[in-house]
Amino acid sequence: MRVPKSLTSWFYVSPLLLVIIPFFVMPIIVVIAASFMQGDGFGGILPTFTWENYQGVFSEQLTWNLYVSTVKFTVLTWFFTLIIGFWIAYYLVFHIRSELLAMGLFLLCTVPFWTSNIIRMISWIPLLGQNGLVNMALVGSGVVKEPLKVLLFSDFSVVVAYVHQLTIFMIVPIFNSLARVDKRVVEAARDAGASRWDIMRRIILPLSRSGIALGSIFVISIVMGDFFVVKVMSGGNSASVVAALFENISVLQYPPAAAHAVVLMIVVVIMIGAILRTVDIRKEITQ
Amino acid sequence: MSAPAVRPLLDRRPWTFYALTALFVFYVLALYGPMLCIYLLSFQDLRGGLVFPMKGLSVHWFVDLFTQVRTGDVKGSFDRSIKLAVLVTVITVAVSFLAGMAFRRRFRGDTVVFYLMIGSLVAPGLVLGIGIGLLFQFFHLEPSWFTSALGAQLSLTLPFGVLVMFAVMSRFDRRWEEAARDLGASSWQITRMVVIPILLPGIVAVALFGFTLSYDEFARTLQTSGSLNTLPVEIWTMTLNVTSPSLYALGTVTTIVSFIIIGLCLGSIAQMQKRRALHKASH
Amino acid sequence: MAGKAGNIELAGVCKSYGTFTAVEGINLKIPDGAYCCFLGPSGCGKTTILRMIAGHEDPTEGEILIGGENVVGLAPTQRRTAMMFQSYALFPHLSVRDNIAFPLRVRKASKEEIAKRTDAMMEKTRITELANRLPGQLSGGQQQRVALARAAITEPRVLLLDEPLSALDEQLRIQMRQELRRMQQELGITFIHVTHTQLEAIALADLVVVMEQGHIKQFGPAREIYATPKDRYVAEFVGGQNVIKCTVERVNGSSATLAAPNVKGIEIPLGGKRRIAEGDEVDIAVRRDDLKLHRPEKGGVGPGTTGISSRVRGVEYQGYFVKVMLDALGEQDFIAYIPEREFFGDPLTIGDVVVATWSAERSLLLA
Repeated sequence: MRVPKSLTSWFYVSPLLLVIIPFFVMPIIVVIAASFMQGDGFGGILPTFTWENYQGVFSEQLTWNLYVSTVKFTVLTWFFTLIIGFWIAYYLVFHIRSELLAMGLFLLCTVPFWTSNIIRMISWIPLLGQNGLVNMALVGSGVVKEPLKVLLFSDFSVVVAYVHQLTIFMIVPIFNSLARVDKRVVEAARDAGASRWDIMRRIILPLSRSGIALGSIFVISIVMGDFFVVKVMSGGNSASVVAALFENISVLQYPPAAAHAVVLMIVVVIMIGAILRTVDIRKEITQ
Repeated sequence: MSAPAVRPLLDRRPWTFYALTALFVFYVLALYGPMLCIYLLSFQDLRGGLVFPMKGLSVHWFVDLFTQVRTGDVKGSFDRSIKLAVLVTVITVAVSFLAGMAFRRRFRGDTVVFYLMIGSLVAPGLVLGIGIGLLFQFFHLEPSWFTSALGAQLSLTLPFGVLVMFAVMSRFDRRWEEAARDLGASSWQITRMVVIPILLPGIVAVALFGFTLSYDEFARTLQTSGSLNTLPVEIWTMTLNVTSPSLYALGTVTTIVSFIIIGLCLGSIAQMQKRRALHKASH
Repeated sequence: MAGKAGNIELAGVCKSYGTFTAVEGINLKIPDGAYCCFLGPSGCGKTTILRMIAGHEDPTEGEILIGGENVVGLAPTQRRTAMMFQSYALFPHLSVRDNIAFPLRVRKASKEEIAKRTDAMMEKTRITELANRLPGQLSGGQQQRVALARAAITEPRVLLLDEPLSALDEQLRIQMRQELRRMQQELGITFIHVTHTQLEAIALADLVVVMEQGHIKQFGPAREIYATPKDRYVAEFVGGQNVIKCTVERVNGSSATLAAPNVKGIEIPLGGKRRIAEGDEVDIAVRRDDLKLHRPEKGGVGPGTTGISSRVRGVEYQGYFVKVMLDALGEQDFIAYIPEREFFGDPLTIGDVVVATWSAERSLLLA
């Protein structure tokens, strides 16, 4: 008697499911359930059905402000990480001739990913602060008379921190898809008389599309779901959806927080779904 | 004619090469520069502040970090973070390896599992944290770093581990397994003597992800670690009330730990790859 | 008897994947100690048969007997077969010595025995000096020797080779071909070798099995396959033949007269294998090296000889012979192999008109 192959596969993924189900699926279900219930004001939840939490979310002007602010951060971060990430990946794949050197430089870019984000954020303080190095340089060279205050604890520093942390999420997938491009294809195109611009537009950009999509999914979902960078880097001056959610739960308002969370997740799922329409992520990842 | 030959066209770098080199250098400087600043500033003496110029040179703030009570329970949280990271690493390696093996061929329901995994990866950490907190509350369980926080971190490290495993497995030739079976190896022998050793560099990479992601995890841990903090949560509370270079000193210490782990992992991967590298030139 | 252990018999073997049938109705007997080549284009099912003999796949129907015993459902080790994989599948993390010792190690042989037998096998395959290298550091030919040593160390009764020479360059391929033959004779076991290269099969095999789309087309000694192909497919795939489509004009006892579109009066002997009648469409084969070319002015065609008037379409110098392409059959190839010295006695150029003749008893009626 042979065990069906599907059963063996399920046996192998069962440990994964034993983690994913209690620590991802069930918590999400709990959050959705809580969003339809009433709080007792002390962190407890009463099992009474109510639309109140959603009415609250959709009637507040604040909600729209939060989403505008969050989407603003998301778009700005996405734009800069894409531009920088694409050119870095392109540079590493097509301009570095030694494969070993390219791999080394690639690792140089990825090492900070494995270090603490919090520390990397804090480390902007001595640079961007009012008495930081950048201001010292600007004042010293006479570009500005007074130290700039907008450099730290502002929207600017929030975007800087996001780009700093997340560009790697663009570099890696774009690097991967470009590294798979057969260099002879580019040579053949050049041979056929294509200009460098033609090659970029007709060959390299289309071939890096899946990498861009994958990177975008990471960047967008991380920025949309983050509260921590906004909180630390804006010094409390900027808001985002999850930052507001964090305020909610620190005063033990779980059901309204849950409603906020559900709306946010729906928005994120729609955005990611739109990206997934353009690329088969499963094929891209498993090849 | 003795005039030097015109350099071949292909050898000339286009102007974009120099522009992109500049961009790359700038990027790497921006990546490492700020970190270097705080390492430097953490070695100031008693008069030190949060910005340049450096005031003196000492290890005062490192001593302060581990002796002063007002900076919080650094030693305890450091201890917990390391233990938790090791636990997460071991589980991540084992579970990702198995899941990677399963995903080598299609099976009924594989797409569902795949997208659950992706969902778990990109879910907002704080929302998951709230959900896990409420879930524990519902079952009257006490959240702690080695139960709820462990699970919360695994919900992040496992998808990462499996994705890395996918990349590793895609370069694994099924014929190695078949050859081993043909030569008389049992399933267990194939796994132990062929699959694991061949995939070892990839498995080390999974361990690297598991350890560092856990060691630095914050968003999912904040709501789930219970009454005892992990190090990133401790740092987070410090950013709110500590304004001395001891914050930087802590940054330096954690980063040194990270770098040791990264160095060990990448070093051993490089060693293994070098040993197996093709030496076409020798023949 | 131990001596008969390596004979293989396939009886009614079929293999299908869902609706796709990879091989069908395979009946075949391979004697012990034979060098047998499965020859066919890719996708013809030859590798599937090999993998079924090896035990990596089970037949949907039919029996596979090795040494008289049905082995369907047995593991490769129990069958005492060993397979040499395409591109060898050497374990990249193990040295040459450890690769070869692998089958002994998984059988939990003692350290001394492993060392002794591994050394002996490396000696036999002439790779002793490579013992501590990793596969990545070996050339293609060296890798093949290691793969062979690894497969042979368990003393299998059948060795199965899947396209063993395809990873090598031309020169090395000829060299390793000889080496395979030498090893087969030295080991004295049955070799089953899958290839899509005709030359390889003919040069190596005692027995050649020609396959097409899951079926065996012809089975026999190499010379038989080459010299007397059964049908158009085998003749064209094995090569060296001109295949001409003809209509039967007259049957006269032990011979027949045929006509092709541009040619009249092709005489052919009838072997009695096949009955033909006037008006039948038949294929005949004429070996390319049986053709002689004459200038038309040099007299007519003698008795018992068939001649076709033709124009030279192309000439290709091949070294010891010259390949002359003729347009007698229109678009279809009609080629003569002329010995080099003979050709250059009176060199032909493109456009020349020649008469291609062959002796009637050399032409072969195909099925």
